[in-house]
Amino acid sequence: MPESLTNRLREERARRNLTQAELAELVGVSRKTINTVENGIFVPSTILALRLARALNVAVEKLFQLTG
Amino acid sequence: MPSNVEVADKASRKRAIAVAIAAIVFLMIQVVTRPVFNPLPETAHLSKVIMWAINAGALLLLLMTGGGLMQRKEIRTLIHDEVSRNNSRSAIVFGYWIAMAIAIAVYVAAGIKPVSAREAVYLIVTPSVGIALLSFSWLELRAHSDA
Repeated sequence: MPESLTNRLREERARRNLTQAELAELVGVSRKTINTVENGIFVPSTILALRLARALNVAVEKLFQLTG
Repeated sequence: MPSNVEVADKASRKRAIAVAIAAIVFLMIQVVTRPVFNPLPETAHLSKVIMWAINAGALLLLLMTGGGLMQRKEIRTLIHDEVSRNNSRSAIVFGYWIAMAIAIAVYVAAGIKPVSAREAVYLIVTPSVGIALLSFSWLELRAHSDA
């Protein structure tokens, strides 16, 4: 079975009471980028994944996991 | 005052809709005017042929660059960020495969009814540009919609 990437972005963002737009502002991307990553439509680049982890102050491997 | 992200969000939605409208208008104009297949003398429909080339080129440029030239640089960067660039690439790849399929069909059909180089290019480019733009628009609108 092929591996897939899951993420806890929505949960971590909600834990910090941030809206998608606020997180987008912190990371310097558009709201649709946050939306597509949360919905699993878009797999972010390594740079974006690291920037998201830094903005949410969590380890990147806590934010993104391989499953399957 | 709205933040850059909010401004970019609105502009990006508008762009997705505008791209779909541009693609539909482009395809509909072709159905109505048929610039390449017009039986008029060459000089009479040359302007239509040139307009088609300008139109198709401009739409391809829009697909490649993401447009937004009227926006500030920071807003343009947000509008055409990682997701949009990815959507643009996917749409271009989709358009490429449409072009390849039509090119093969034209190659086979040319044995039955000869087509000129201009007609062949027109038949290949028109639908592939239109479909690539519609595909980009759909991917962008999907990215905006909440799950």
